[in-house]
Formats: sequence, C-alpha cells, structure tokens
Amino acid sequence: MPGVLWLALLFVLPLYIVLCLAFGTFDPVFRSPIPVWNPLQWDFTQARYVLDHIVGSDGFFGPAIERTFVFVFIASAGALAISYPVAYYVCRFGGRRKGLLLTLLIAPFWISYMMRMLAWVNLLQTDGLVNRALSLGGLFPVHVAWLNGRPSTVVMGLIYGYVPYMILPLYAGLDRIEPSLIEAARDLGASRFATFRKVTLPMSKPAVIASLLLVSLPMFGDYFTNDLLSGSPSTAMFGNLINNAVLVPQHVGEGATFLILMFIVLLIPMAYYVRSTAREEGETV
Amino acid sequence: MAFLDACSKKNDATGGAAAAPTATFSVASPEAPVKWPIYDDNKPIASGLTPEHGATINIYTYTDYLDPKALKSFETKYKAYGAKVTITTFEDTTTALGKIRTGGVQADIFNPSYDQIGKMVTAKLIAPLNHSYIPNISNVWSTYSNPFYDQEWQYTTPYLLYGTGIAWRTDLVSEDVATLTNPYDILWDPKYARKLSVLDDYRTCMGMVLSRNKLPINTYKPEDLALVHTQLSEMNHTTFPKVNVTDYTDLPTKIVSLCQAWAGDAVNMLSYMPAGQSPDVLRYWGPSGPSAAVDNDLLVMLKQTKYPVMTQLFLNHMMDYDVAISNFSFTGYQPPQTLITPDKLVADGFVPATMASAVVRQSDYEQGQHILELPPAVDAAWQAVWEQFKAGA
Repeated sequence: MPGVLWLALLFVLPLYIVLCLAFGTFDPVFRSPIPVWNPLQWDFTQARYVLDHIVGSDGFFGPAIERTFVFVFIASAGALAISYPVAYYVCRFGGRRKGLLLTLLIAPFWISYMMRMLAWVNLLQTDGLVNRALSLGGLFPVHVAWLNGRPSTVVMGLIYGYVPYMILPLYAGLDRIEPSLIEAARDLGASRFATFRKVTLPMSKPAVIASLLLVSLPMFGDYFTNDLLSGSPSTAMFGNLINNAVLVPQHVGEGATFLILMFIVLLIPMAYYVRSTAREEGETV
Repeated sequence: MAFLDACSKKNDATGGAAAAPTATFSVASPEAPVKWPIYDDNKPIASGLTPEHGATINIYTYTDYLDPKALKSFETKYKAYGAKVTITTFEDTTTALGKIRTGGVQADIFNPSYDQIGKMVTAKLIAPLNHSYIPNISNVWSTYSNPFYDQEWQYTTPYLLYGTGIAWRTDLVSEDVATLTNPYDILWDPKYARKLSVLDDYRTCMGMVLSRNKLPINTYKPEDLALVHTQLSEMNHTTFPKVNVTDYTDLPTKIVSLCQAWAGDAVNMLSYMPAGQSPDVLRYWGPSGPSAAVDNDLLVMLKQTKYPVMTQLFLNHMMDYDVAISNFSFTGYQPPQTLITPDKLVADGFVPATMASAVVRQSDYEQGQHILELPPAVDAAWQAVWEQFKAGA
C-alpha cells in the first residue's frame, strides 16, 4: 500500500499534471498556461505543433534532439571509459585504502553541480588555466574559446559532471563479484586479461547497464551544462528545448509535450534494463 | 496603432478550454498614447493621509536591480513610522506578472515594462497614484509627466532607462564598431565566430536584426519576421553566438570579444574588469536619434498593497536625485533624472569618457524607437521565430 501511495503521489499525479498542461491551453492576454483537467476536453494543438516540427523541412526541433542523442552517447561512453578502470582499481587494488578512495570519489557530490560547472567556466576562459597550461607557460600562445558554442566542451562537461554517478554503481557491482571466481579462473590457467574478459566483464554487465542508465537518463534532460559551458543555440540539447519552452508562459504546453516525448523515449532503455535484470535474476535462481 | 480587442480564456474550476471575452485594452505607442481608465472600485487614495505605522513595503523586482542603500535611506527617513523595505526577486516580468495575478506573490511595488501596463490596469492589478505623495516627479524628464504608455502618469512612475547597442574590447576587436557602415553586421562576421554573444531577450535581439535592416522594431509583417528568421539562422551558422544576459561579465573576462548589450550592462562591465586590467579597452556603441533603441521600465503600486501611502512615498523616494544617482552607481542603469547628462557623469567619475556613449540622452529617448506591446497573434509569430533560433536549427 505505501508503495502504491508513493507511486500515485510522486509519479502518477505529476505525470497527469504534465499531460493536462501539454493538452491544455493558455490565457491569450496574460499568456499563462491553463491546464485542462478533463481528458475529454484536451486540446492537442500544442502537442501537434511540437510533433510537426521534429522531422521534415519544418523540423526545427529535430537537430537539437539528434544532437542530444549524439552528445549523450559520447558522454556516456566517455564516462564509462573513465569510471570503469577507476572503479576496478578501487575494488581490486584499493586494499586498506578503499574507504579513503571511495570517500575521495564521493567528494564531488559535496559540491553542487552548478558550482562544479562554474569552476570549469573559470578554468576554460580564454585567459584561464586550461589555455595557460596548453600554452606551456606562454611558449605557444593558445586562445581557444572553449566556452563559445563548442560541442566538445559540452560533452566534456557532461562527462565530468556525471562521472561520480557512474563510479559508485560500477564499484558496487564489481565489489559483488566473488573473488573466488577470479581465483578459480587464474588457477585454471587464464591470463589476467582473459580472466577480466571472461569473468569480470560479463559479471559486471548488470552494473555497467545500471550505471549507463543512471547517467544517461539525467543527461537527456540536462540543459544546465550547455547553458553554462556553451550558451549557444548551436549546441542546444533536448533539455534546452524544454527549458526554453517553460520560460515562455504560452509555450509551457510545448515544454510538457517535450517532457512526455522524452519519457516515452527513455522508457525503452528502462524496459531493457528491467528485462535484462529480471532475466539474470531468473538465471541465478 | 489599431485597437486591440483582447479576450481572456475563462479560467473555470475545471480549467476548461472555453474562451470568453473578459477584457479590452489598448496598445500604447508614441503615435497613439493611451490614458487608462480609473475604475470606480480602484480609485486613488485621498491626499494628506498619514503614512501607515509599521509598514513593510515589499518590492518585486529583478535581482541586484535596486541599491540596498536606497532601502536603508528610506527606512531611516521614515523611522518614526517604523517603515521597513524588503525585496522579492523575479527572473522575468512575464512570469512575475503571472504570480501576482494568481496571488503567488504578495508585494506592494512591482517593476514591470511598459508593455504590461494595459493588462495590469484592465485586470485591476495595479492602483492609480495620488500625485500629491510623489512631488519628485519634477526631478525626472518632463516626458514622464505624460508618457505615451500612461498619459498623465496615472499608474506609473519611471524607474531606469536602457538603450541597446554593441559593446566590445579594443584589444580583441580590431575594428572601431561605431564607425562601421552598419555596426550590426559585425555580429555576422565569421572573423568573430565563437567570440560574441547576443541578448537572450526575443524583442531586443530580434529588434536588433530589424534595426540592422532599417525596419521598424515592432513590425507586424510576416515578411519582416521571415527576414529576421533567415538572418538569425545565418548568425547561428556563421558566428555561433552565445545567447545570454551575462554579457556584463563575459566581456570583461574575455569569454566574448564583442556582444549585443544594454547600455546599463555596458556601464556595469567597468566594475567587472579583472584586477590589473584597464577598463579603457571597453567600448560601447548605440544608435542615436530616430534609430536609437531606448526604453525604460517602471515602478507601479500593486492594488493588493495594505500601505498605499508609504508605498507612494517610496516611489517618490526613488526619484530623489541623491537616491537615484546612488542607485545608478549600484545597478549601472540610468534613471531619467534631469540633472544627469553624459558630460556630468563623466565629470563626476561615474562613467569613463570612453563609455560616455552608454549614457542615454533625453533626445534619443524622445526620438528613438521603443519596444511596444504586440497583439497576441503577432507576439506568437515573434515567439515562434525566437523559438527556432534558440533551438539551434
């Protein structure tokens, strides 16, 4: 019962409100959104406007959505490439320092996401530390404008911002692998690499999928990283479309439609995760 | 300017979509000034009333848009009455207006733009003023005793002015923008790709594109908007501009080399220069005369106020010369005080001579173009163009 109540209050009700806004209208004088609570009276004008402008010659929302998939794919892969070795190292070679290393890995959580991004704004300025480091103390003048509409900066920001969220579930997954299985593989003559490839990697697959989901889902809705590290429409993401819409009162319905679209799209990887987890649990039983 | 018959959706209990006409208001412009009605159930208070004791005046305005010293000096002035002043902030006036309307914010004074007055008067959200409490109106430009958006200043007092133009750094931009045939063209110059920004305000930015093409900045014409759409798209693909309102820090810190800027932000840039760097590298250009893009915002008394006397005394306080000049130092935005001129501000050290062009002149305000309210359908067309630009298509 508490679970049903929790779901009703924190999921069903907010989703219903979003639907009522997406299929609602707006006050033509004050431009404020008017949710339509009765589904029989829903007006699909705003939702249709969004859908009509995603693909085709008038599809001006399309590029931002495509860009989001590309950015999220690269950033998730990049975050995994960094996180997996780190989590593996802490798990296998952390020894008595595991606690300390984990604390250090969690440390970024103590600083707000915004503050961490603002720190990068400082570092990436034309006169900032990054350019100064690249110029090797002024030997080779470097004036890269990192903060002005560069996709690479946005992807880097996403990787940096979400890496801590990936390391922890990976660590938890790797730590759960029985050391005796690895020892058995080694005893049976497998090299370190073969042991990793045939034992550790397959057994950490659920943790990899979970951690990828954990970071890619919020990345899809992220607008803040792009706003702070680029600020250019040329790197706008799905989250920026939502944010731009909700900041204009008469476009709140469009924002709500984007949200529903994102929800539907993200259901696919969620469903895959639930299915694969259920299958593996079944195999274990 | 044609009369606008605006209608409002019926906001019934079910939030039904049925529309019902509930209001009619005019679109004010210099060519068609508007005198708003005074309704029987929303009249000015009587003259000669004693200020309320224990009043706390809450001002609903932008962040960092009011000098804390102005609040303190008011509290000191009316200490005998126990007056207090607090501030509640908003991000944009449209959302703020929505909160006032729904009762989400309790405030005494609001800081709207003049294209919102019609809605607020019609919905009786603001109260008419009794001029006997606001004698300092004589300190500001005479225009404001009979502004086009509120003839006979029945509901509004002027607050701050903002011209719009281009700011740049002479150490990063080789051209003198002010001397270019069409200074706006530099925002499309590939040489400055990823080095510039435009203002994240649809009327200001799209108005700039219209000005670049010598078109009226309040156009209703679809072909003009199509041109704006094309040129904004070109800008997106040639110079990849940042679209934000942080130009006042981005230019001093070299995040951008040049930017579209409000004159007040250009003045503000001086105080954001990093230590050891001279503000002499900063420059500002804004069109003048009939091409000038100059506007002002307002202070209005909300009808919900419980302290109408003290509230109007505060409006009066903000037009006091000493308070206004101190507020200018704090915000960078200029009050329309008659004693303030570019020469005086330079002489008094408020603005360096290199930035004197950021000071708005009365003649520019009177001859220039103003951002006017648009009918809902036209505004929706503007918003659609802006939405496409911001989506980065």
